[in-house]
Amino acid sequence: NPIYDSKSPNASNLKISRMDKTCGSVLGGDEIFLLCDKVQKDDIEIRFYEEDDEGGWEAFGDFSPTDVHKQYAIVFKTPPYHSTEIERPVTVFLQLKRKKAGDSSDPKQFTYIPQVQDKEEVLRKKQK
Amino acid sequence: NPIYDKKATTTSQLKISCLNMNRGPCTGKTEIYMLCDKVQKDDIEILFRRGSWKANGEFAQSDVHRQIAIVFKTPPYQEQDITEEKEVSVVLRRISDQMESEPVNFTYLPHNPDPYEVKRK
Repeated sequence: NPIYDSKSPNASNLKISRMDKTCGSVLGGDEIFLLCDKVQKDDIEIRFYEEDDEGGWEAFGDFSPTDVHKQYAIVFKTPPYHSTEIERPVTVFLQLKRKKAGDSSDPKQFTYIPQVQDKEEVLRKKQK
Repeated sequence: NPIYDKKATTTSQLKISCLNMNRGPCTGKTEIYMLCDKVQKDDIEILFRRGSWKANGEFAQSDVHRQIAIVFKTPPYQEQDITEEKEVSVVLRRISDQMESEPVNFTYLPHNPDPYEVKRK
């Protein structure tokens, strides 16, 4: 059995505590404040993903090491969803993931909201 | 000269790094995420100030995350019938020695912003 140093930030469990937003535009680019357990600013990524039978989808939150605040918070921008043509909100997952070890946190939900200007057209299509 | 332990959270300098939002309605209750330098969860307050008015941001000790972030709610502004935006200062203050951080700005927005557009005319 491997022995882990539980106090070292690259062995401790990853955890998302809270986020200031859990929904945003399907186009991405929404700024999110995420509070978490200890991370290393140069060995962490925020993975958005969707799992389905055809392989699913993943994309990564946009931030630089300077956006990691004191190892316990990350300010990042959401990636765009794979399709910007959605007609209703789509809920996906996100998780913290260490680049080197590949381990990840429990997921949190995030909901992509359709573009506002599409609303009328969506209504029109629904009525058909 | 007194000698300060710069790493002790009881005497260290207070600093607000950023707020996730710097505008909100004058009715208050806007949830704000503040990133800051190390604070003690039981010895810190968030002060909103403009002129002689002051009020505290609302949070519990459990809203202080790992000493470096605070999730709080804005207090209502002193007047609820403002017709213009009001800029106020926000500081972190250590309760025990009353030391304060540098201020950051927060803007209260009118509840009913100029309904007849008098200002624009």
